Amino acid sequence: MSKEVKLFLGPNHPGMHGNSSVHLYVEGDTVVKSRLVPGFLHRGFEKLMERRTWMQNLALIPRICVPEPDINEMVYAMAIETLTGIEVPEKAHWIRMIILELARIAAHLMAMGGIGGATGLYTMPYWVMPDRDRILDIFEKITGARIYHMYIIPGGVRKDLPQGIEKDILEVLDYIESRSDEYENLLLKHRVIRTRTKGLGVLTREEALEMGVTGVGLRATGLPYDIRKVDPYARYDKVEFEVPTATEGDGYARFTLKYLELQQSIRIIRQCIDMMPKEGPVNVRFSRGSALRFRVPAGSVYAHVESSRGEYGYFVVSDGGEKPYRIHVRGASYPQGLYGVENKLPGTRIEDVALWLGTMDFCSPEIDR
Amino acid sequence: MSSTNEVIFNEVSSLFEKVSFEKISDRKYAVSIEKRQVVSFLETLKRKGFSHMSLITCIDWIEEKEFEIVYTLFNWNTGTTLMVKTRTSREKPVVPTIMEIWPTAKFYERDIHEFFGVKFEGNPDLKPLILESWEEIPPMRKDFDPEKYSKEHFPDRAYEVDFLVKGSENDE
Repeated sequence: MSKEVKLFLGPNHPGMHGNSSVHLYVEGDTVVKSRLVPGFLHRGFEKLMERRTWMQNLALIPRICVPEPDINEMVYAMAIETLTGIEVPEKAHWIRMIILELARIAAHLMAMGGIGGATGLYTMPYWVMPDRDRILDIFEKITGARIYHMYIIPGGVRKDLPQGIEKDILEVLDYIESRSDEYENLLLKHRVIRTRTKGLGVLTREEALEMGVTGVGLRATGLPYDIRKVDPYARYDKVEFEVPTATEGDGYARFTLKYLELQQSIRIIRQCIDMMPKEGPVNVRFSRGSALRFRVPAGSVYAHVESSRGEYGYFVVSDGGEKPYRIHVRGASYPQGLYGVENKLPGTRIEDVALWLGTMDFCSPEIDR
Repeated sequence: MSSTNEVIFNEVSSLFEKVSFEKISDRKYAVSIEKRQVVSFLETLKRKGFSHMSLITCIDWIEEKEFEIVYTLFNWNTGTTLMVKTRTSREKPVVPTIMEIWPTAKFYERDIHEFFGVKFEGNPDLKPLILESWEEIPPMRKDFDPEKYSKEHFPDRAYEVDFLVKGSENDE
């Protein structure tokens, strides 16, 4: 006769992704019931945003999501541009794409390192973190900051690219590409990783659609659904790239797709550098007088982008005032983090829980906000 | 197989009374619906192609004494976002649950219940999710004042400005 034991994964646990707790009820080694207990990271961002002016919020929003902050700036800017009807200059679109794709590479690298760590393959985090650092160096040269850039603003980007940055970006891309074979050998062909992740956390196409899972979770079930293709923003309709898909729907498939998307991001950035206009403004002056007293016309809009973890969106409401009336952050991992942990995690073995969360792209700040 | 937006919107408009789809920008639309029709309306839209529910959110229109619940749907075939809006009174905010249509709605509704106090009829689990030992009114309501709350609950800390290292060359 087996006995049910209650275990806590997190909030402080090496296998936990951010400050959240998963309560597990286990029988032997198998999880029979689980639920997510968020709240450790709740900072009241949505309420804070209502109490600051539209421009002051620019310093706040990137801090919602640590691994990939630029998507916050992008959706915020997109929402304001839709409400005010500002036309973004052509060059700014291309710069934004370069920034977003660099951020995607950095986030995917970090996620790959996380999956390596969760399987005990610590070589992976040791490899990817310095490689990611090279991208942060580029960010520092462009924006002046490494993690929270506050670079994409409503109406364009804060300032033009520095002289000769294209060469630096191409060098980093070449370097990451030259590392690809090693990543593939270490991660995708590794016997331990294959054994641990194949068949882990299988989501069928129906389940994924029903839950509202987006990103690699959905694409691993064979659907080429990518917001960059389906609902293109910036100039994603002008560049060529593929949306890699898989059919297995398991952890290994999701993980492989991350690796393949890395190649596509590199491809997109190269095209951006080629096709970007060399001259021209990078932002428009959107208000007369002080930017802090900038007002957005009344209305509500939902803007979303394809982040490294799936659909990331802001629901923005303005009453015509100097401050946002309401902003709701739609985190990419909200469905799998709450509904998924409760309904899809049971049946997994304890040692695979951290791996399950890693391949499902669980990110706790997206739930706590 | 996939229908264009006009076809879907015309078909849906013919099934429900007084429904008009408003265009916000390219591939973004909004529509308002009465509270009692919201479940069947969303079910119809899901069948017609708006299969992805991006989020459920709530807006506190305090001057109109109403809460607005917004269901944001997405159509993967046409890339269209549709915001379905419904309103409920502020005194007795009750909205039917849509868990039957999208099971993930359970948590969005739980979130809104915690932060706005809107009750979702039929949702079995509306326990607090994020906040701990919260005794005030739901915090995302417009009449909740976070500054007053923090003044009442947390003492002002006295800071001594003492940046200079004693005995260093900075001392005169």
